[in-house]
Amino acid sequence: MESNWAAENLQTIRTLMERSAIYRRALAPVSTCVGMVGIAAAVVGWQLKLETDRSFLIYWMAVSLVAISGALLLVRRQALKDHEPFWSPPTRRIVQAMFPALLVGFLGGVLEASGRSATDGPTVLSMLFVPIWSLFYGLALHSAGFFMPRGIRLFGWGFLIAGLVLSFGLAALKETIWNISPMLLMGVIFGGFHFAYGIYLYFTEPRKNEA
Amino acid sequence: MNPEPFLQLDRVIHEKGRLAIMSLLAASPELSFTELRDALAMTDGNLTTHIRTLQEAGYVSVAKSYENKRPLTTCSLTPKGRQAFAEHINLLEKIVRQNKPK
Repeated sequence: MESNWAAENLQTIRTLMERSAIYRRALAPVSTCVGMVGIAAAVVGWQLKLETDRSFLIYWMAVSLVAISGALLLVRRQALKDHEPFWSPPTRRIVQAMFPALLVGFLGGVLEASGRSATDGPTVLSMLFVPIWSLFYGLALHSAGFFMPRGIRLFGWGFLIAGLVLSFGLAALKETIWNISPMLLMGVIFGGFHFAYGIYLYFTEPRKNEA
Repeated sequence: MNPEPFLQLDRVIHEKGRLAIMSLLAASPELSFTELRDALAMTDGNLTTHIRTLQEAGYVSVAKSYENKRPLTTCSLTPKGRQAFAEHINLLEKIVRQNKPK
């Protein structure tokens, strides 16, 4: 009886401690870095005139890998600086939460890219992948937001709304919106949003050890 | 059965609400009053009372600051509170071990 009571107490404590471990790394540098990578990639891609669907998809999937690697390196640097483990339970939970949506978005790109020849000209596909990736990324951020400060979920909603607006825009405003380069749209949505959020966080993110 | 571990249990921490607060704070460098309230589904008054008790025992420190021009109250465990919490866990584990059928 007493043993059960003590074991139940320990289990409750464990559950509460797991729930409490919210991810608290400073996100301002991470978001700014991802934003700069996105904007630079859009400008470079536009200059290089990567106009085929295949080159567009492969290029942006490579950019996403670079951005994710950069973000993880920044997080690792912060963890080392704080003398804390990098692969902590909150980090693990966030990766697990983001993984399904990111994987589906990425695999969708891989499947489409593998089905196109390198010489195929531009089609609507590149443009369609901008809202598709925006929606999947928004879903990933929204899931991660349950283990992070509340703002991340709102940030995720930003991508979801952008994806939805762009989807409706592509259907309704055919003449105007289809003339915009998908490269530049990717730069505005992924690069611009991250960069703006990073700057916002620099001014609003709570600093450590205040008071 | 050895009753000693029971007698050593810290009454301040042992209360259900306060144990929950200590557990949450033990896993995080600091938590805001709102985060604690939401996680534990406690009323403001109830949470304030428990935090005050823990503060008086020297287990929890409370800091007041501003975030986006709004007042922000954050709580964290003191070294004394962390030690008391660890001892409480050890005692619970001892009770579980001593009652385990051999």
